[in-house]
Amino acid sequence: MSEIVTVNGDDFAGSGRLDGLTINVSLKGNADYSALDAVEMLLTRAHAEAQRAGTKETVVDLRQLEFMNSSCFQSFVAWINDINELAEGQRYKVKFLSNPNLHWQKRSLHSLRSFAVELVTIVETQ
Amino acid sequence: MEPTAYFELNFKPNIALVTVVRRFVSEFYQRFLSDPDGTSRLALATHELLENAVRYSKDGESTIRIDVEDGKPKTVRIVLRNRATQPNIGAIREILDGVAAAPDPTTFYQQLMVKRAGHRSGSGLGLARICAEGEMALTYTVEDNDLVTISAVTSIGERS
Repeated sequence: MSEIVTVNGDDFAGSGRLDGLTINVSLKGNADYSALDAVEMLLTRAHAEAQRAGTKETVVDLRQLEFMNSSCFQSFVAWINDINELAEGQRYKVKFLSNPNLHWQKRSLHSLRSFAVELVTIVETQ
Repeated sequence: MEPTAYFELNFKPNIALVTVVRRFVSEFYQRFLSDPDGTSRLALATHELLENAVRYSKDGESTIRIDVEDGKPKTVRIVLRNRATQPNIGAIREILDGVAAAPDPTTFYQQLMVKRAGHRSGSGLGLARICAEGEMALTYTVEDNDLVTISAVTSIGERS
């Protein structure tokens, strides 16, 4: 497993790691406006590494993410859109791990899945 | 109907305060509403409204008032008032008039996500997100050219 990127803020932390052909991304804490640059960097680096490594799936662990504001959510929309615009053979899937006790996640991830139903899956797990 | 519980906060625009206030009002919602999903919807709406006000306030203070009216279901109203920039007032009009004209808030939100998918700055999704994911009805008024009042209303809990 190799580290791609680590970002840390006062109330937010994120990381991306390459494990074989899978990229594992983790977000923890509070993704509000002050975390926007960190979230953007995390997704940009993960996307670049996914293309370089020929990744077939990226797993995004949100289970410890208390909240995400609309600006950070927009970064996810833009990222999914970037994946969708890749050539068919280069596209990779995105699996979100969500926490059923954090109710906003079900609603927001449903919105993301509706945006790109072919690319996005959601797994609820504690 | 008179609210059974309410509070009102005046605060000077400060982006770092938004999360503090969201966490505080989440405690308030949890105290008066036995509905974790409803509490989550309200926290999301509160955060997005506050952040919008803080980022686009011309100057001075923003005021947020939250009313809980008893009943089955309970009615919760979030009212946020501040003096906004003209571009922000235009954006509020565009989004909320768009939601009102759409078949439903979710359809509008999905269309807006597609429209904004190539943008990486200034999401423009916040108010539509409140309507779609937060399941809240939003209305607004503009007085004195720049005094914006946004009201977000929803029902929480079981119906009688």
